[in-house]
Amino acid sequence: MSALLDEIEGCVPALRRFARALTHDADLADDLVQDSLERAIRKRDLWRPTGPLRAWLFRILVNVYRNDLRTRRRIAAVLPLYARPSEASVPAAQHVRLALAETARAMQVLPAEQREALLLVAVEGMSYAEAAAVLGIPSGTLMSRLARGRAALRRATEEGPPRLRTVK
Amino acid sequence: MNGASVTETDLHAYVDGALDPERCAAVDRYLAGHPIEAERVRAWQQQNEALSALYHHIGAEPVPPRLDVHSIAGAFATSGRAWHRMATAALLCMAVGLAGGWIGRGYWGAPDVGQTPLVNEAVAAHSLYTREVVHPVEVGADQQAHLAAWLSKRLDRNLVLPDLRPLGFSLVGGRLLPAQGRPAAQLMYEDETGQRVTFLIVAASDGHESSLQYGQRDGLRSFLWTDETIRCVLVGSVARDRLRDIATRAYEQLG
Repeated sequence: MSALLDEIEGCVPALRRFARALTHDADLADDLVQDSLERAIRKRDLWRPTGPLRAWLFRILVNVYRNDLRTRRRIAAVLPLYARPSEASVPAAQHVRLALAETARAMQVLPAEQREALLLVAVEGMSYAEAAAVLGIPSGTLMSRLARGRAALRRATEEGPPRLRTVK
Repeated sequence: MNGASVTETDLHAYVDGALDPERCAAVDRYLAGHPIEAERVRAWQQQNEALSALYHHIGAEPVPPRLDVHSIAGAFATSGRAWHRMATAALLCMAVGLAGGWIGRGYWGAPDVGQTPLVNEAVAAHSLYTREVVHPVEVGADQQAHLAAWLSKRLDRNLVLPDLRPLGFSLVGGRLLPAQGRPAAQLMYEDETGQRVTFLIVAASDGHESSLQYGQRDGLRSFLWTDETIRCVLVGSVARDRLRDIATRAYEQLG
């Protein structure tokens, strides 16, 4: 049982990252992780360790997050993770920081289901199959959420100020 | 592979590093001849880089003490022991009560939730509706999102319709019923042989959680559990182990 706890522990940093990226609120994110860990630990007798543990933990977190969204309605008015840099900020890094700020802002207004899909794939590095399992959706649905999320992010960031272009 | 067979999914998989080298090379060739697509793919790559830059470092932060897995487990073990002590005391009281004259009332036998009122209602609703061929449900699986939203609203709980396909059961649909004087949701699933199982779900708010409790009556098996927000009974005539698998999966997804 302790080995299972160790394995759960190994997933905590990634769970915190995912929760913070979902909510853009450090306290709320840790609340979500704490709720999820409590659920996971309580239910671990029911969970037969045959499937991947990480996917199971992320699935619990997604469920807790969705329940929380519904009850608290704390979605949009969140604290910005990165304040928008002023126009007069340091020129050299300005474009990069603008691009990051634009992306951070665009992520916050993305529908939750697209944000979840993007984060699992692009930040957590999950395979499409694993991400689909976490979200409890067929892989076709995952791909369409990913595609819509990427298109929306692109629109949002390209409508913003000119950004750095990397030319290969 | 020629360039024309590159799909949208390939482009995403290319960006996410999920293609094998051969396919990757094919996408490279395709992009060389399709500048608009190439620009789109480049934008996605920049998004991935931006997302990494924004969030990746969070995973390297020290974990706050309140998220220490072993302490959380320890706290549960302690409260579990306290609960055991109380349960033992309660059993002693009950034993005294039994000795004092309860014996004649027929309360003997293994605890079986088959007689619990909610289980009775779930079994009755199961028997009534699983036999229906034409109208087994009020809202079919083709309107799954509507069904989830409607039942969630009526129960004032966020109901996620469990995905039981990995266990061979697909959603037939659901309906609203009265149970214990309150609105209850019935969800029906069936396997490829047409064997049906149903869930009866009511809102709960006493905060008590329970493990799965097995019951059997009228040739039907059931599992009852209480989660933080709902009480749920799963009913079916499938084998006990299979029913338990379904219950476990639903337990995980429902609450």
